[in-house]
Amino acid sequence: VFRLLPPRMDNSAEDYRIQSFDLDTQVLLKTALKDPSSVNLEKVSNIIMDQSLKDQVFSKEAGRICYTIVQAEAKQSNGNVFRRNLLNRLQQEFKDREETRSRSLQEWVCYVTFICNIFDYLKVNNMPMVALVHPVFDCLMRLAQPDALMNEEEVDCLVLQLHRIGEQLEKVNSQRMDELFFLLRDGFLLQEGLTSMARLLLLEILEFRAGGWLLSSTAHKYYYSEISD
Amino acid sequence: MSDWTRDRRRDASTEREYRTSGHARWSHCRKRGIDGSLRANRETDGETEKRGHTDRSHPDNRQDSFTTPESAGPMSRCGRQADWGSQVEDDEMRRDVHRDMQRYRRRILGAEVTQRERKTSSGSSGSCDSKEGENIETDETVLLRRQKQINYGKNTLAYDRYIKEVPKHMRQPGIHPKTPNKFRKYSRRSWDQQIKLWKVKLHAWDPPAEEGPDKVLDNIDELDLDDVMDIELDFPTLSESQNAPASLSTHSLSLEAEDCSGTPVKVQKTETTTEPDMA
Repeated sequence: VFRLLPPRMDNSAEDYRIQSFDLDTQVLLKTALKDPSSVNLEKVSNIIMDQSLKDQVFSKEAGRICYTIVQAEAKQSNGNVFRRNLLNRLQQEFKDREETRSRSLQEWVCYVTFICNIFDYLKVNNMPMVALVHPVFDCLMRLAQPDALMNEEEVDCLVLQLHRIGEQLEKVNSQRMDELFFLLRDGFLLQEGLTSMARLLLLEILEFRAGGWLLSSTAHKYYYSEISD
Repeated sequence: MSDWTRDRRRDASTEREYRTSGHARWSHCRKRGIDGSLRANRETDGETEKRGHTDRSHPDNRQDSFTTPESAGPMSRCGRQADWGSQVEDDEMRRDVHRDMQRYRRRILGAEVTQRERKTSSGSSGSCDSKEGENIETDETVLLRRQKQINYGKNTLAYDRYIKEVPKHMRQPGIHPKTPNKFRKYSRRSWDQQIKLWKVKLHAWDPPAEEGPDKVLDNIDELDLDDVMDIELDFPTLSESQNAPASLSTHSLSLEAEDCSGTPVKVQKTETTTEPDMA
């Protein structure tokens, strides 16, 4: 039985999950949040990017700290050095994603988690960044390929992202979402060698989307509670 | 070639004209360095290169500060930028322009209603129906290009110092530079001239300009550009736009006629004469 934790909404430093950094870096990050023009923002974005590729816990919420720095920089000096550097790093890693995946599943999964988190948090005039829509879909489609479905961590990553940003993604491009779900249905039905956990995850996400990105209370009970015999 | 790259070429050749041996003329006035980060002090180009960017070498010996303020480096010549950073910025600018347009429309409609009410109550039959609302520039390509040009002008230390020194309500038409109105219909040439003249006026606030605004304006008087300056930049505000649009259009028409032979040369003269003051 698994549980998905809802994101926390308070603003304490812990929420940025920066405890995994060494103390000097923590200070640097905190300074970037308060006084962005006093730090080397290109360096900061690289630090965040690099850590996101290594630390799954961090990659799940790194979008929030990025958002705050972007806002702070815009307000303080009307600049977007941080955002620009971050996006271009993301793009670089995106180009090399297949190589990353074959080298390290963990890093690949972290990357997808990070880019989806950025998509979630970094909005432009409250709209998702158009430039990221296709890349995000490309990543999710990759996770829905037969070879990826064999790995529980990839399936887990896929359903996590769909829970968090599926609805938004569908709004900006429903056709690609449909394509993705054709793959997921096929995977669930036809893929041999899937673990029972993988099948459970896929079934849940199929129901989730079918319910308008909501799980009915009975379905919720089935997937998330202990059912006594 | 897209309009945008043509603009950049023009900015590029203008920059080259004013460069002395290896030092970009107004680089110290740029608010941002090549990598987009703020330049806090008036350092020389040599120092700037030591900080930040070290790996980037321009294939054609351009100075780092040659690059336009917003970009992180030389841009590709093709129309649509491939890097995500630029795509998101372009996207953002597009949205901002559309939002500006909605606000502008609302302002105009509001002003028009007020005018109509005034006319009927005073009984006057004004020959000029304020057709502002129907005469808005809506072509997105044009608006984006104009917005980029405005951004280049606003992204300078001069502009920063100007807006801090002279709050809007203290601005006097003719003396204080006013941002050209991107929503008005103008010919390409007319618009580009307005931008040039606006930027020239802004240079009066360049650091460390000890002389201040007066010196530059004296020079401009000598060149007898009074008429041009007054007409080109003196847009009536919306509340006083009853008769002005008509007169404004005839003036700019007559300037257009002179344009073909005279104006580019005049504008060049302006910039070269003010050069020594900028040293």
